[in-house]
Amino acid sequence: MQEKQQTAMNRRNFLRAFGGASTTAVAAAAVTLTPGEAQAYDPGEEETRARYRETEHVKAFYRVNGYETLKK
Amino acid sequence: MARMKFLCDADRCIECNACVTACKNEHDVPWGINRRRVVTINDGKPGERSVSMACMHCTDAPCAAVCPVDCFYTTADAVVLHSKDLCIGCGYCFYACPFGAPQYPRVGNFGSRGKMDKCTFCAAGPEGDSTEIEYAKYGANRLAEGKLPLCAEMCSTKSLLAGDGEIIAAIYKERVTQRGYGSGAWGWQTAYRETIDV
Repeated sequence: MQEKQQTAMNRRNFLRAFGGASTTAVAAAAVTLTPGEAQAYDPGEEETRARYRETEHVKAFYRVNGYETLKK
Repeated sequence: MARMKFLCDADRCIECNACVTACKNEHDVPWGINRRRVVTINDGKPGERSVSMACMHCTDAPCAAVCPVDCFYTTADAVVLHSKDLCIGCGYCFYACPFGAPQYPRVGNFGSRGKMDKCTFCAAGPEGDSTEIEYAKYGANRLAEGKLPLCAEMCSTKSLLAGDGEIIAAIYKERVTQRGYGSGAWGWQTAYRETIDV
């Protein structure tokens, strides 16, 4: 009975010790891996530059959608 | 700097779905995804209105605000684009978007529905302009070719307008002014009778 209790205690001690160690490890990791500012995706200047140009094609679209053209 | 906008003149839309078909064809959009669709209100009743809907390229885009991997970006001409390399297909943008623009290639739960796909205002994505890889991921880059979105360019009734927000707003304003007594000049009251309850 005594032996049985001792085994049980040992197991609990082990878990307690293991739990304590892991908590310390997590704390240490938190200190070393301090998260920085979140970085938004930046595809760069080349990809964010304006592609729109008022070409003849685009001007023709505006012209045919205007009311004066629609009326004819 | 011009800001790209869509504007659907609901009094002119006849729900032909040509914009939807043109978009699917131009970008080789896979089955199950519609970057653009036509929504009809009061279908079959007097006063029925249809409006062509896609990504509205919001100024302060809610999809970008909720994205956990920050895959959205806005170009200098105010087009909201995203990177499919970063997208994890979580679906948050779909819940955040007031227009239901984000679409997914597969039906599934968190992370299993594939990369999000949406209207790009025919400006494709972050890969090089008009490259094969860009086309495969996002479709054609008409804006880089000096053109406008095909959905608007081939609208049969000139309902869907796209381009510089200030110019298309001026075109719409001119139309509204010329129609005279409200929208009825182009709608049901003209087609049937003046007394119809719209």
